[in-house]
Amino acid sequence: MTGFAETLWAEILIFFRPALFNIYFAAVSLAIGFVLAVAVAFARNGKNPIVSHLAAGYIYAFRGSPLFIQFFMFYSIMLALNAVWWRPLGISGVVMHPLFIGPLTLVMNTVAYTAEILYGALRTVPRGELEAARAHGMSPLQIFRTVTWPNMIRIAWPAYTNEVVFMFHATALVYLTLPVVGNQRDIMNTARFLFERDYNAILHFSVAGLYFLVISMLVFFVFGRIYERMMRHLSVNQDRPRLRFAPKYIR
Amino acid sequence: MDTDPSLLARLVGEDIAFWFGYFTNGRHMAWYTSFRFTIIAALLGGVLALVFGVLGALLKRSRFLPARLIGGVYTGVVRGVPDVLFFLFFPLVFIQGLELVAAQFVCTPESIEAYQSNWPPCREASLYFSTEQYLVLACFALGIVYGAFVANVIHGAMRAVPSGQLEAARAYGMSEGQVLMRIHIRQMWVYALPGLSNVWMLLIKATALLSLLQINDIVWWAGQLGAPNFLPQVGMVHGDWRWGYYTALFVFYILVTLLSERFFRAVTKRARRGMPVES
Amino acid sequence: MKKLLLAATALALLSSAANAQSIRVGTEGAYAPWNFINEAGELDGYEIDLANAICEHAGIECEVVQNDWESIIPNLLSGNYDVIMAGMSITDERLETINFTQDYYPPDPSLFVATAGAEFDFDNLEGARIAVQGNTIQAAYAEENFADANEILSFATPDQTIADLAAGNVDLILADGSFLQPVVDNSGGAIVFVGPEVMIGGGVGGGVRKEDTELLATLNESLDALKADGTVNQLLAEWYGDDAPAY
Repeated sequence: MTGFAETLWAEILIFFRPALFNIYFAAVSLAIGFVLAVAVAFARNGKNPIVSHLAAGYIYAFRGSPLFIQFFMFYSIMLALNAVWWRPLGISGVVMHPLFIGPLTLVMNTVAYTAEILYGALRTVPRGELEAARAHGMSPLQIFRTVTWPNMIRIAWPAYTNEVVFMFHATALVYLTLPVVGNQRDIMNTARFLFERDYNAILHFSVAGLYFLVISMLVFFVFGRIYERMMRHLSVNQDRPRLRFAPKYIR
Repeated sequence: MDTDPSLLARLVGEDIAFWFGYFTNGRHMAWYTSFRFTIIAALLGGVLALVFGVLGALLKRSRFLPARLIGGVYTGVVRGVPDVLFFLFFPLVFIQGLELVAAQFVCTPESIEAYQSNWPPCREASLYFSTEQYLVLACFALGIVYGAFVANVIHGAMRAVPSGQLEAARAYGMSEGQVLMRIHIRQMWVYALPGLSNVWMLLIKATALLSLLQINDIVWWAGQLGAPNFLPQVGMVHGDWRWGYYTALFVFYILVTLLSERFFRAVTKRARRGMPVES
Repeated sequence: MKKLLLAATALALLSSAANAQSIRVGTEGAYAPWNFINEAGELDGYEIDLANAICEHAGIECEVVQNDWESIIPNLLSGNYDVIMAGMSITDERLETINFTQDYYPPDPSLFVATAGAEFDFDNLEGARIAVQGNTIQAAYAEENFADANEILSFATPDQTIADLAAGNVDLILADGSFLQPVVDNSGGAIVFVGPEVMIGGGVGGGVRKEDTELLATLNESLDALKADGTVNQLLAEWYGDDAPAY
């Protein structure tokens, strides 16, 4: 039994560095993606029909196609542009690097999903509160800051939590589709690499899955805490909504 | 396809005839026929997801605690790991499991001794899986993964069925099984449809992963066809065209999503007939 | 459930036992002129022709199947096919896991290619982006000799390395000379050989599982015969042109 525990522990240590790659991909693309998604959601909700349609088309295209193909497509398009754009600009080495192109594709993807979530939330911001704010003589900026934004975030939060977990899972695709530089391997790549050495599918893939599972649960815990804080204005007697570990079918 | 090429050229011009010939050569035909893998994976995977989903939902609703636990662990764990991980893991473990069973019967100590690689235990226990068999395994993997999502949808939908309808059925003297089969599950679909539509969208996108299981599917062929070629012996000499082929697949999947949405909208409309209007 | 499992196992065993007189040959299908998929969508190339010649000589039935390079040895070991013929060089490291037939392509130097006009100091190469195909002798060599001061990019298929070089994303490719030669010849001067020849690997042979000694003997016998009667030389000349090596 101690032999098994030792093997397992050694395996968990092996996967520690690869896991950092997945965390890097998810963290970078979520941070950038969220900011852009807010812009796209407002564009989608805005009055300008051209901008709104463009945003809708973008959201539809990236939600309607597999991320797996988006990776291949982006890499090959960026490669085709390399000789014309990136190389003359001298940024070829950065732009074509998996540590850049990976997050880039993930950002394109998460912006679409997050924008859809935020757009849905925007449309359900309570009318009454907006009218009340207007009746108070608030400026549009004040209304945005005090009514629209907090409401939108609160409504979107549970769905966004799911998106964060899914984005983390999606990082598993990066090194299945892009070239590997040196020994920069992520969790999936390491699992496949180890499997091809000794065929111990159960050990390698289980530990890989364990990393994803534990980090997913961690995300749910942290985001759940944040959600509780956001909802603390609701009275204690009222049933406060809570987040539980339950990735949903939102995507 | 054996029309006189010059006739075609005279009819539509040299360029179009040339490109028509290029896009209908054997390599491209193989690409087009490889769509069957994707379609089968989506349909069979979808059916299996429904089956696993209903089973999962029933487990989760069970009054028997261990069954509830199994249901909970199934839906929780499967959705807590990336679909691609399970997609690779399941067929491998399934095949290894079969080989382990086979090894109990066909391996002798000598043959195990003689076999030098780590797996399977002996030569005779090594099983060969054809592309078709891999495809079935892939469908099961898809079914199990998305079944977990379906289970949640159905679990929620079953709770959404008005209890009055079930009570009325019981009052008619139906047994619990009859209530479940005739009323509860049938009425549940209306509430489940929006969620099922979402899971279906996820599932069709996951069919792009087939090439990871050594199935030469549309994604694999797109990579082959777009790859740069420098050898006249191989075929037309051209540069890297993969961006074009992958973009075509990108558009293909968007169209499938569009059609699926239309389909589900029509089905929902039909299923809602005679139902109280919901907000 | 257990019965079902047993039945399935039995069926699978039966089907594999039924065709004991036939073998499957695994190849990559993306390594012209060794093995590739032709205009008709079928596997073609030197190794496919050679495999058919060997099987005809040995009187066994052959089926050539495609398998991606990355998993080509694991899938041989797990029984998806019985021989690898995929331009695989005979190396000591590979000999630890599988056996090789005698070579059917003599030891071939690995070469560097770059886009025309680029210059490198191969004595102390620094800051270059070097493309290799993953799990190849060149990948191992580059990792050992250049990894400290350069970036090594490993790709899943060999044609990806060419695409990335042509697009200027990598500076150098290190690969088999026999694979690079036609690329250089047909690139219209855009891609050129640079730097030294590197002798790694001991010729190209067919890979078989270690315990398949009988199959190995059969294949070697047939290769001997085909080399003696000139078939191998004829196929080499057919696929590799005027500079083709000969036995």
